[in-house]
Amino acid sequence: MRFLARRLGFYLLTAWAAITLNFLVPRLMPGDPVELLVARMKGNVDPAAIDAMRRAFGISDASLWQQYLDYLGNLARGELGRSITFFPTEVSTVIADSLPWTLGLVGVATLISYLVGTSLGALLAWRRGTWLDGVLPAATFMHAVPYFWVALALVFVFGVTLRWFPVSRAYGLDVMPGLTPEFAGSVAYHAALPAITIVAASMADRILGMRNVMVTTLGEDYVVMAEAKGLTSRRVMWAYAARNAILPNITSFALSLGFVVGGSVLTEIVFSYPGIGSMLLKGVENEDFPLMQGIFLVISLAVLVANFLADLAYVVLDPRTRQESE
Amino acid sequence: MKRILAVLAALTLAGCSSGGGGAAATGGTSAPPLVIHAVDAGTFQEDFNPYHLEGVNFGTSGMIHETLMYFNRLKPGETTPWLALKHEWSNDGKSVTFTLRQGVKWSDGQPFTADDVAFTFQMLKDHPQLNRNALEIEGAEAEAPDKVRVDFKNTSYAKLFNIAGNSPIVPKHVWEKQQDPVTFTNPKPVGTGPYTLSKFSAQLYELAKNPSYWQPGKPEVPLLRFPAYTANALQTALQQGEVDWAGAFVPDIQKIYVQGKPEQNKYYYPPEGIVTLLPNLTNPVLAKPEVRQAISLAIDRDKIVRVAERGYTKVAHPTGVPMPGGEAYVAPEYRDAAYQVDIAKAKELLKGVDPAQLTFELLVPSPFTDWVNAAQLIREDLAKVGITVETRGVAFQDWVSKVGKGNYDLSIRATQAGPTPYFQMRSLLFGGLAEPVGEAATGNYQRWKDAETDRLIDAYAATEDEAEHQRATQGLSKIMVEQVPALPLFYSPSWAQYRTDKYVGWPTEQDPYAMPSPYTSPDAAVVLLRLKPTPR
Repeated sequence: MRFLARRLGFYLLTAWAAITLNFLVPRLMPGDPVELLVARMKGNVDPAAIDAMRRAFGISDASLWQQYLDYLGNLARGELGRSITFFPTEVSTVIADSLPWTLGLVGVATLISYLVGTSLGALLAWRRGTWLDGVLPAATFMHAVPYFWVALALVFVFGVTLRWFPVSRAYGLDVMPGLTPEFAGSVAYHAALPAITIVAASMADRILGMRNVMVTTLGEDYVVMAEAKGLTSRRVMWAYAARNAILPNITSFALSLGFVVGGSVLTEIVFSYPGIGSMLLKGVENEDFPLMQGIFLVISLAVLVANFLADLAYVVLDPRTRQESE
Repeated sequence: MKRILAVLAALTLAGCSSGGGGAAATGGTSAPPLVIHAVDAGTFQEDFNPYHLEGVNFGTSGMIHETLMYFNRLKPGETTPWLALKHEWSNDGKSVTFTLRQGVKWSDGQPFTADDVAFTFQMLKDHPQLNRNALEIEGAEAEAPDKVRVDFKNTSYAKLFNIAGNSPIVPKHVWEKQQDPVTFTNPKPVGTGPYTLSKFSAQLYELAKNPSYWQPGKPEVPLLRFPAYTANALQTALQQGEVDWAGAFVPDIQKIYVQGKPEQNKYYYPPEGIVTLLPNLTNPVLAKPEVRQAISLAIDRDKIVRVAERGYTKVAHPTGVPMPGGEAYVAPEYRDAAYQVDIAKAKELLKGVDPAQLTFELLVPSPFTDWVNAAQLIREDLAKVGITVETRGVAFQDWVSKVGKGNYDLSIRATQAGPTPYFQMRSLLFGGLAEPVGEAATGNYQRWKDAETDRLIDAYAATEDEAEHQRATQGLSKIMVEQVPALPLFYSPSWAQYRTDKYVGWPTEQDPYAMPSPYTSPDAAVVLLRLKPTPR
C-alpha cells in the first residue's frame, strides 16, 4: 500500500510538471496566432479587425501568471477552451473526433506488431541457424530506414502504381459514417496500408528483444528438464521458454500503449489520416494554443497512465519489485 | 510545410507513368457533379457561419450566402449588382442606401427583404468579433422592404468593397433566434445563393442546386462535391484525375496535372497581389533612396520568375499595380515601364555610400521554398554591385513576428491586390500603418512615412468619384517608381486548375470575369454560375 501511495504521489507531481510545460512551451514560440491567421488569410481579413479577432479567440493580454491560473482553473473544470484553427469548435470536440482514429489505427497496429514480433522472436530463438535468421536483418533494415521513407515507398508501390490500396483518408468518399458493414469495411481497407507501414517499421525491436531473452531462457535447467520429460517441442517452446522470456516485452508493450495516443504523426501526415497527429500538426502550424495544450495534455496523461499500469503490472508479475531493499 | 509536403508527394509521383484515370462521365442526361478542392484540410468541421474565418467550410460565402454586389478583382473598378441593384452614398460618405433586388427568396421559402440586410450589419456592429472587415458601423435601418440604409462613424467610400462585396447577408428569421452568433456554427444554412447544403460528413460535404434560385435556369452544375484533401493527398488526386477544380501549388504541373492534355487539363494563375522586397526604412542606409534604387536595378527579376517561381507568374510592373487590368490606375508616363537590369547605373548610384555599410540580412520564411530560392538569387545579383546580403531562413511564425515588428533589414512579403490597386497601395504605403519598431504593424512593414503618400490615400478615401480614385492611385504609382518605398518583384499568383471534360465556361486570360481559384469567394460562385456542360 505504501508503495502504491508513493508511486501515486510521484505520478501526480509528474502530471503537474507536464501540465505546466504544456502551458509554457506553446507560449515560448515566436509570433501570435492572430497575426499568423491574418498572414494566412490572404487579405480576407482587414488587419484593422485584429483586435476583434483576439477577443473572439479569447486571447488575453493578461500577465503570464494570471493566464496560468486561469488555465489551471479551466482545467479543473474540465474546460479546454475553443480551438483557434477550428473556431468555434471546442478543443475537447476536436480531440474526441480525432482520437478514435488514432487509437484504432496505431493501437491495432501496435498490438499486431507485438503479437507478430514476439512470436517471430520466439521462433527465431528456437530455430537458430536456419533460414529464419534472415528475418531479423530484414526487419532491422525496415526499422533503420527513416519511417516516412518506408511509408512513401509503400504508398508509391501499392497505392499509386498498383492501386491496391487507397493512399489517403480514413474511409471512402462514397460511404457515410455509421454502423454499417460498408463503412466498417471501408475503414479497414483504408487503414490497411498505414497499419502495415507501422508494423513493418516497428517490429524489429520486438523480435530482437524476444529472441535475445528467449535464447537465455532456453539454456535454463527447467527447459532441459521439460525436454528430458519428452514434452512436445511446441509445448516446451511456448509454455516453458516463451512464457518466461516474454516479461520484458510485456512491460515495453504497456509503455508503448502510452505513445499510441501521441499517434504516429508521420503516418497520419503521409496518409492524410484524420487522427490526433494531423490535428497536432495543424495546431502547431497555426499557433493554436488551446488545441496544442489540449492535445499535449491528453498525450502526457496517456503516457503517465500507461507508465503507471506498467509499474503495476510489474509489481503483480514480479514480487521482487515489491520488497524494500534492506 | 505545405510546399515541402507537396514536394515529397511529387517525388513519390515522379516517374509514375499511369495516365490520369479521367473523370468517369456519368451516363444519362443529367449533368455530372463537380469535384472541388478549395482549401487543404484533413477533416471538415460542421461550420457554415460565413463570418467565421478558418473553420468555416468553403462555399458558405458566395454559394450559400450572397453579397450585395460583386467586385471583379481582375478588372479593377468593374462591379456587378447582386442582391442590391444600386447603392447611393449620403451624409459625406457616412451613410449608404442600397436598393435591393425584388423577388429573391431564402432557400426555406421566406422572402429576402431589407430587414435581413439591416439585421446582418446590426449584428456586425453588436458583435465586433464577427466584424472581420473592421467596418465602423453606427447602425442599419430598413427604410422600405427594398431599401436599407447603413450608417458609419466615418467616411467609408473606400470600404464599399468590404460593405457590399465581402459581407454575406444572413437571414434574420433564422439568425435572430441564436443566442450568440459568434459561436453559432449554422449547421443547416439558409441562404439566397445558388446552392444549399445537402450532405455533410467530416471527409466530404456536398452542395446541391437551389431550385428556387433568383437567376432563372442557373446554376447548370447540379451538385458540388468537396472532399477533404491534405496538401500532399491532393497532388495524388490531381494526378489520378479525381478533382475537377482545384486551387493548389503543383510543383511540376506538366507532369502531375496536365499530362500532355493542355486542352483539357487547364490552369490559369492570374495575379492576386504582389511579392515585394521590403527594405526596412528605419535602417539609415536603406532609408537612402539611391540605395533602394540601386538594389532594384541590380535584381534580375526575369531569372527569379523563371528559376524560383517555375515561370508560374510574371515579373511585376514597376508600380506594383497588377497588369493587365490596372492600366487606369497607373500614371500615364509609367504605363509601359518595365524592369531592366542595369549594373553600371546601380554602381554609379552607390558611389556616395560607404561600401562597409552595404551589408544586409535578408529574412525569409523557410517553408516558402520559392522565396528562399529567390533570396539566393537576389544575394548573387546584389553581390555584383558590392552589396553583401546574408540570407536567413526562419520559421513562418518567427518571420511573421519579426517583419511585423520591424526587426529586419530586408525581407520578402506578399501584399494582396484587393478589388482595386488602391487597397494594395494603402496596405503597402499608408503612414498610419507604420508602427514604431518593436510593435506589430498590420501593413507598411517597411515603415514608409511620406506626407504626399498619405495625402493621396486620404484623397481616395474622401470621395466616391471614380476619376478621383484613379488620379489618387496614379499619384501613388508614381511614388512607387520614383522613390522606391518597396521593391516589387513578381505577382503572387492565384492558383487555379480546372478540367474542361465535364464543364466549360471557366475564366481565362482572355475573359477574366472572376478570380479562377476555387478558394476566392464570392468569385467561385460567379464562376459556377457561368459553367455549362461540355458539349458532346
